[in-house]
Amino acid sequence: MDIIQILLNGIVLGSLYACIAIGFSLVWGVLNIINMLHGSFIILGGYLAFFAWQYSGVNPVFLLPIIATALFGLGYLLQYFFINKVVSSPVLTTLTLTFGLDMILYNLMTVFFTATPRRVTLDLGTVNLGDMYLPVDRLMGMGLALFLTALLFVVMRASKIGRAIVAVRMDRQAATLMGIRVNNVYAITFGIGAFMAGAAGVIFSMVFPITTNLTGTFLGKAFIICVIGGLGSVPGALIGGIALGLIESFAGYTIGPQNATTVGFVLMLFLLIVRPTGLVGVKGYE
Amino acid sequence: MVMEMTFKKRLAVTAVTMGMAMAGSVGLASADDDVLVIGAPLALTGGLADEGKKQQDVWKLWLEKINAAGGIDVAGKKMQVKFVEYDYQTDGKRAGQLAEKLITDDEVDVIMAPFGSGHTKIIAAVAERYQVPMLACVASSVSVYDQGFKYLFGTLAPNTGMTESMVEFFKEKNPELKKVAVYGRDDVFPKSMATALANSAESGGLDVVYNELYAVGTMDHSAAISAIKSANPDWVYMTGYTQDLILGRKQLADMGVNTPIVTMVTGPAYREYTEGVGELADGVTSSTWWHHSTAYTNAVGAWSTTADFYADFTAAYKSDPDYVSASCAAAADVLVNAVQVAGSKDKQAVRDALAATDILTFYGPIDFGDNGMNQGREMPIIQVQGEEIKVLYPASIADAEMKMIK
Repeated sequence: MDIIQILLNGIVLGSLYACIAIGFSLVWGVLNIINMLHGSFIILGGYLAFFAWQYSGVNPVFLLPIIATALFGLGYLLQYFFINKVVSSPVLTTLTLTFGLDMILYNLMTVFFTATPRRVTLDLGTVNLGDMYLPVDRLMGMGLALFLTALLFVVMRASKIGRAIVAVRMDRQAATLMGIRVNNVYAITFGIGAFMAGAAGVIFSMVFPITTNLTGTFLGKAFIICVIGGLGSVPGALIGGIALGLIESFAGYTIGPQNATTVGFVLMLFLLIVRPTGLVGVKGYE
Repeated sequence: MVMEMTFKKRLAVTAVTMGMAMAGSVGLASADDDVLVIGAPLALTGGLADEGKKQQDVWKLWLEKINAAGGIDVAGKKMQVKFVEYDYQTDGKRAGQLAEKLITDDEVDVIMAPFGSGHTKIIAAVAERYQVPMLACVASSVSVYDQGFKYLFGTLAPNTGMTESMVEFFKEKNPELKKVAVYGRDDVFPKSMATALANSAESGGLDVVYNELYAVGTMDHSAAISAIKSANPDWVYMTGYTQDLILGRKQLADMGVNTPIVTMVTGPAYREYTEGVGELADGVTSSTWWHHSTAYTNAVGAWSTTADFYADFTAAYKSDPDYVSASCAAAADVLVNAVQVAGSKDKQAVRDALAATDILTFYGPIDFGDNGMNQGREMPIIQVQGEEIKVLYPASIADAEMKMIK
């Protein structure tokens, strides 16, 4: 029975991990920007959900579209006015810029919200299947991760903006010649990444204590998941997240929680050596 | 022409700068003997920002109290007190560098250590090298104090004492208690508490059915909690920092672990823990170095009673002080007392006075042992009951009976 519980734990945890990584994967895969702001975006979404809930009493699930849209706006503006200035520079330049912006956002959050861990204490209970327990809030996170992945998949495949994003990623100059406003597409893509992070933050505010201390942890997880799952493929983040969740869950149970996170890093190193595209990544995006 | 102007400009700037520097040094030199300069590397950003802010806040309050009295009386004269603080961004290496800067550049008379045993250990080595007295108000691991340092003094008592009294107390309150699961964060203080509890439990005749550490940065405890559940303990003892413990308590409930005793060190000592956990906090026990319900009177220092400190703190910050605030304010009181006893701020004399300290502060008695740690304190065991924190032990300050979690 323990094995089934561990398996379920791993899948649910993995889906939450996927939630963290979807936006990061999109921005990295499409814009070739390693967005160091991503962890802070998630925490910002969480803080906004916490304070809005504390002030209004409204369930954060209903606040999710508003908060995620606000994050979209922030992401769009940051890309349009700052990151676009250096977007065609080597990846290290954009990495440094987003790192600097992250320090500003991180410290602003610490000053205004303090680093006190906060959680929306809206415990939704658990679903019991015999001896097995599944927390409802984590199941919601899992549902959201699946929904966001599906939504992003459809947007990238079927919508005009999705095709424009793919076109810009494939050949920036050709896309410009086709009349695509490249800077606008970049800003929208970065905005979508921030939207996903904000949505993840809202769900996380009900599951994890939100504190600025966690920004680096979220960013690190997103990074590992993208390497495991692979870039350039929307389901890559979902698969990478679930793979990492399962690995950590089984490793935590069998070889002890002290080593569980190390196993994730070891797997990342292994994949970088033998399969740089990740499990389902597209060649050329690594 | 342009070159010439630039050169002149440079010359003028250099002259002005030199003038300012000289004026500054003259000013400092004249004020030197009358000002006690305390250096404090603080974690104001990064992982320990919350704890660093608590130290900064309480020292601000303490300093206001001292300044309101016109300074401190030393050898018949008034001496002013000044804090020099730097943010070390929760980066241990940077903490060491800034401690060095405080000593060599700012020429501080004494160092106040930051939060946590790990960073205190780093800074203690620097202070020892320069022979500057250092007070640690939030470091309780014996490993910090067993390095033979002569200039290090800590106001917290050894954390091993806490675990032995806790095991005996819980056995007395719950005779059915047989099995304990210990789950600690792999970090200096939480690890030492988990190890101490496992040892105390074993020597106290309990069966330690689970004893594991989790890595710093762990975002999920479900695998460990599944293993704990299989071991079917009567008591779960978890250590970590507030965010770990909020998550741990929630996941224990999510996974259906219903033990009569859940201890989280030092979770309930912080208001943010009970706020973050909500109703699940009810019944959680912890041990702590201080609680504001303790009532010391006729104390030496800025506050003569615990109640006075509590009143001033709550008026200033609209929240209850925890042991971090109390211990750090008391450390400042101890320092002032040592300077007054020494009759000057001579580092060797202050160090000797600190070593001989045996006083009562609003925080409790302070008497440094041979290793520099505060000794002989009975530390309270607390429990969340409803929305309040109750003291269960020691009997002299207890205000409630222990309740088992249903």
